[in-house]
Amino acid sequence: MRKVSLPDLPEVSRNIMTIALNWLGRTPLTRRRALWGLALVAPNVLGLLFFFGIPVLNAFITSFQEWNAIKPPVPIGFANFERLANDSAFWQALTNTLKLLIFAVPVGVASALFVALLLNQQLRGRGIFRTIYFLPVVTSTVAAAMVWTWIFQPRYGLAGNLLSPLGLRDLNWLTRPDLVLIPIGIVMVWQRIGFDMVLFLAGLQNIPRQLYEAAIIDGANRWQRFRFVTLPMLSPTTFFIVLLSVINAFQVFDQVYVMTARTTRGGVGGSAVTLTYFMYDRGFLKSEFGYASAIAMVLFLIILGMTILQLRLQRRWVYYESEGGV
Amino acid sequence: MRHAKRCSWLLVVLLFALVVSVAYAQDVPVIGAQNCAEPGNLTMWVWDENWARVIGSAIDVWSEKYCPGATVDLQVQPWQQYWDLLKTNVAGGNMPDVFNVSQDRFFFYASNDALLDLQTYFDEAGVDTSVWGSGMIDPYRWGDNGDLYAAPVNWDTIVIFYNKDIFDAAGISYPSEKWDWYGFAAAAAALTNAEQDIYGAAVYSEYQSGYPNWIASTGIPPIVGPGRTQCTLTETSSLDALNFLKDLYDNGYMPSVSIMGGASADDAFNFWLAGKLAMVSAGSWKLPTALEEATFNWDVVRLPRNPETGRTRSIVHSVGYVASANTPNPDLAANLIVYLSSDEGQRFFAEAGGVAPANPAVQQIWVDSFGDTEVNIQAFIDATEDSQGVTVFDEIWDKINTELVVNVFDLGVSVEQAAQDACDFINTQLSAVR
Repeated sequence: MRKVSLPDLPEVSRNIMTIALNWLGRTPLTRRRALWGLALVAPNVLGLLFFFGIPVLNAFITSFQEWNAIKPPVPIGFANFERLANDSAFWQALTNTLKLLIFAVPVGVASALFVALLLNQQLRGRGIFRTIYFLPVVTSTVAAAMVWTWIFQPRYGLAGNLLSPLGLRDLNWLTRPDLVLIPIGIVMVWQRIGFDMVLFLAGLQNIPRQLYEAAIIDGANRWQRFRFVTLPMLSPTTFFIVLLSVINAFQVFDQVYVMTARTTRGGVGGSAVTLTYFMYDRGFLKSEFGYASAIAMVLFLIILGMTILQLRLQRRWVYYESEGGV
Repeated sequence: MRHAKRCSWLLVVLLFALVVSVAYAQDVPVIGAQNCAEPGNLTMWVWDENWARVIGSAIDVWSEKYCPGATVDLQVQPWQQYWDLLKTNVAGGNMPDVFNVSQDRFFFYASNDALLDLQTYFDEAGVDTSVWGSGMIDPYRWGDNGDLYAAPVNWDTIVIFYNKDIFDAAGISYPSEKWDWYGFAAAAAALTNAEQDIYGAAVYSEYQSGYPNWIASTGIPPIVGPGRTQCTLTETSSLDALNFLKDLYDNGYMPSVSIMGGASADDAFNFWLAGKLAMVSAGSWKLPTALEEATFNWDVVRLPRNPETGRTRSIVHSVGYVASANTPNPDLAANLIVYLSSDEGQRFFAEAGGVAPANPAVQQIWVDSFGDTEVNIQAFIDATEDSQGVTVFDEIWDKINTELVVNVFDLGVSVEQAAQDACDFINTQLSAVR
């Protein structure tokens, strides 16, 4: 078999790429296997192509047009992108998104890991707890965000009651421009913990027991075992979760939409507007679909850039057992 | 022979007398229904389940009596998605043939030539459009001739709903038709009971039910002036009205937006239903809810008069029926709209109760539909007399309008500052529209 060198991609995509590249090779066996593989992924790929690829292509074309959805589109070159660079509302949305990301990704990943470690113990009723932590994932974001809206209502809300010993009962969480991102970030984290927890649990269960046994024989204490066995062995999972969380944070929309719907949509002075909300606002509220598509393209480039950056950085901290230790 | 001739004359005279008496016995309708020229298929969108039921029954009669063979695919698209879906369907070239619009969103579709000019159809069908109050239809006029592009379905006016029990507990007499702002402020102060967590009033909510009514009673159009050229929020009388409300809020007689959980009229009304508010301003569409859900004694009264102008003015809004400019069956669409606005078509709304029909011929049926109630329903009808149509005409401004409410009645921003911020935005938008 021809040996192909590849960048350090996660396991799944690496396998797919290996298959694809070998398909170009001459061996009939690999070719047949490749065909099988392709046939098996075809339904998904075709679905993606039709229901995702074509709209994406359309959005790409629209981003170079001025279009209000009723009158025929007018091509305007890069004008949408130039306008975007000078639009303070765009920079505000980007800043808000980054703030949410800086909060939600570390806090979310750390909490998920913590919960996963807890629920990886031999614990009575472990299944029930795992279900409870996973529930937010399968709850409709809209319904959940509405409940959270009540929680953050001053005076009558749960948050206010819990914080009242600190004298913080009457905080207008959802209208104050300086506070509004906090509840939104909390809901983001709360909703993601369950999903990340399941991934972490799978990762934890893949760590060979003998590593811990060896560590114990070497005299490692609990913390050292966590630090020098669990964390490195878990790093591919952690990497995957961080990657997904970052993408997720860039796409936050529902929470903003629902939690500010009853007061000022997008927060007072745009204080809660995220990039996707900004896109929705320009597209559906202001009927500037060309401009909204340009925002979508920029968002795509940002996420792509972040992902490539992370793929590069992973070499420094992600440890794949199959490749041999460092 | 001669005898036979006389007989036939007699017959003619008798027949004529019969026709005339029948015509007089049956009142001439205010708006009459017409037979359609040719049946076909139409799609129609509404956003309200109840309306869909009422309109559905009306359409059944229409397609049986006036247009045999015609079919209408009536779809309910819930309000939360209605405008987004409409826009995506417009973009995809799939606009419904007939649909409901509100006065504030009419502008977008009209200014993009997406709507059918109904004026000629009204003229042909002999519809006297002056039977509809000007506040109901003026926002639906478009083009140089001021042609009418919509037929109004209903009207809503705003009054004060008050909790009689809270009045009794505070030992205050119920408000009367003639009360003014001072009387209102005094009542709000006396009714507030901080210990029991009861507020005197909440009347500042966003758009139709809230603060614009108070501005309107000073005599100027709220938010946007006539001709859609100038923001009016920074004018002295607007500022006075807003400051009057802000004082009530600052004194603790009105709860903040956050305490009620939102800036919308629904949030204020639900707070009132929960027994935490003595007075709330709300529209006629809230009557059925109040009759069903209020667990205390209550009544309604017209908005208090402005002490300087002596006027009480309600913001009126009418939902409209419009047709798509690209419908393949414009004649049929217009015929259906005329039927739905006719005495016969509007009767379904009047009898269903809840929604006040735009056609004055069936007004009384609407009042009677509430049955034996002590509630002063006449107040809603009286409020149509000196009323103000909706002046905000785009959902972006809707957001600015909410932002003004949140700024003033939640974040403690001064009226002057909040009004200036709102006007800066609105004036920029207005010049962009021009």
